[in-house]
Amino acid sequence: MDFLDIRWDMWEMIWNYRVLFLRGIGVTVALTIIGYLGGIVLGLFIGMGKLSKRKWIYYPCKYYVDFFRGTPLLVQILLIHSAIIPGIFGHSLGPIVSGAVALVLNSAAYNAEIIRAGIQSIEKGQTEAARSLGMTKQIAMKSIILPQAFRRMVPPLGNELIALMKDSSLVTVIAVNDILYAGKVVAGAAQRFWEPYLMAAILYLCLTFILGKLISYVEKRFSNSYVPTKRKNLFSSRRS
Amino acid sequence: MKKTGRFLLFGVLLVSLSVALFGCGTKNSGSSSDGGGDVEGVRKLTVGTDATYAPMESMDEKGNIVGIDIDIVKAIAEAAGFEVEFKNVGWEPLFPAVDNGEVDFAVSSITITEDRQKTYDFSDPYFSANQLILAPEDSSVESFEDLKDKRVAVQINTTGHIVTRGLLGDTSSKIVAAETMPLAITEMINGNADAAVGDNAVIIDYKANNPKVQVKTIEDASFEKEYYGLMVKKGNTEIVDLLNEGIQIIKDNGKLKEITGFDLE
Repeated sequence: MDFLDIRWDMWEMIWNYRVLFLRGIGVTVALTIIGYLGGIVLGLFIGMGKLSKRKWIYYPCKYYVDFFRGTPLLVQILLIHSAIIPGIFGHSLGPIVSGAVALVLNSAAYNAEIIRAGIQSIEKGQTEAARSLGMTKQIAMKSIILPQAFRRMVPPLGNELIALMKDSSLVTVIAVNDILYAGKVVAGAAQRFWEPYLMAAILYLCLTFILGKLISYVEKRFSNSYVPTKRKNLFSSRRS
Repeated sequence: MKKTGRFLLFGVLLVSLSVALFGCGTKNSGSSSDGGGDVEGVRKLTVGTDATYAPMESMDEKGNIVGIDIDIVKAIAEAAGFEVEFKNVGWEPLFPAVDNGEVDFAVSSITITEDRQKTYDFSDPYFSANQLILAPEDSSVESFEDLKDKRVAVQINTTGHIVTRGLLGDTSSKIVAAETMPLAITEMINGNADAAVGDNAVIIDYKANNPKVQVKTIEDASFEKEYYGLMVKKGNTEIVDLLNEGIQIIKDNGKLKEITGFDLE
């Protein structure tokens, strides 16, 4: 077990490199937020596109999901960074931009499926009822279907947030200064390979813990806000 | 509050269990390859490498590990009378792989440094190298000092990374440390970095293979000469002696010069 002996000077070394770890936390959090928000907006369009009856909308969206769900994120990151962005702009926009773009595009594919499934899970009768009340398709979707569907999307979307945060560590290969990058640099400088990675694991764990709290808060909020107003009053009057 | 405590306890249990299992695993694999596996009297040693470093070590179309380093090790093995089996481990995993006995020694253009000697034993040097700067042809960079306020691409945790850290600071965000040397050079070509720093053999090989790319190489006297060594687990003098014996033989009979093209002083 000599391989596992803890050297306390290692933690001192990690402390000396705290700037890198702090920058890593900032970069990881920023990439996660950008990737997630961008992924939800893009995913909403693509998910709705996959429900469209028009073939020229449906097929591009389907192939988009097939591609980004069917290839590894690591490959997408390398492709986007070394070929696609330099191909479009003539030069690279920096590893952080490439990383963010890759995370947005990848997460959009997964979100699109969550959103499509959420919308499809609402019974047809809901649309029929809304339409028979004289609502247009758009209004029925906006005020009857989407609010209900969204409640069902919250748990899987929360899951996606945590998965995305961990997946963001893959951008380390293109030298984005994230948490894992800090761990790698310290590991190389010290020629000790488990304490720095343990440190990285602890930091990721802290971040997922905070995200978990955030998600359960949002879930609670949404399960309350759609309880019809009358029933809510009934409960409160009983209690008082 | 209580609930959190219980969760924490569970977490600690899980972590310690996995650490214990992990520890056992490495211990077993360590003892099995320590002997080197004798087959019909000829000793077979497993050699770890990171085959992403042409021309020193890389993979050919058939998946064989080839390169100058590989040829040298084969010559050493022939001279000292043992067999070798190469294993592509990757650069960073190479170090723990030597530590826990997954490989008997490592060859991967590993520069003998004081820091590394604290944790590992090295054979006698078999190759001398120095760092080289690669920059766009129209770049104003003329020496290593000029890189002080520039962005520099390196391969993570290589000598190039170490010298660049020395110039720009340990935690500088201007160091672009990519996973492999080709990726680091791509960073420079794509404009993410103003220059790349790496071992001479690799940079010269890059220029030779990419004649259309407008780049120049810059030598700098401030780079110390470096010596590559074969890296062995600390305290394993038996293998170090075996390797040194082979290195001495191929130095004496001219085989080493035949492979590398220059004399090692």
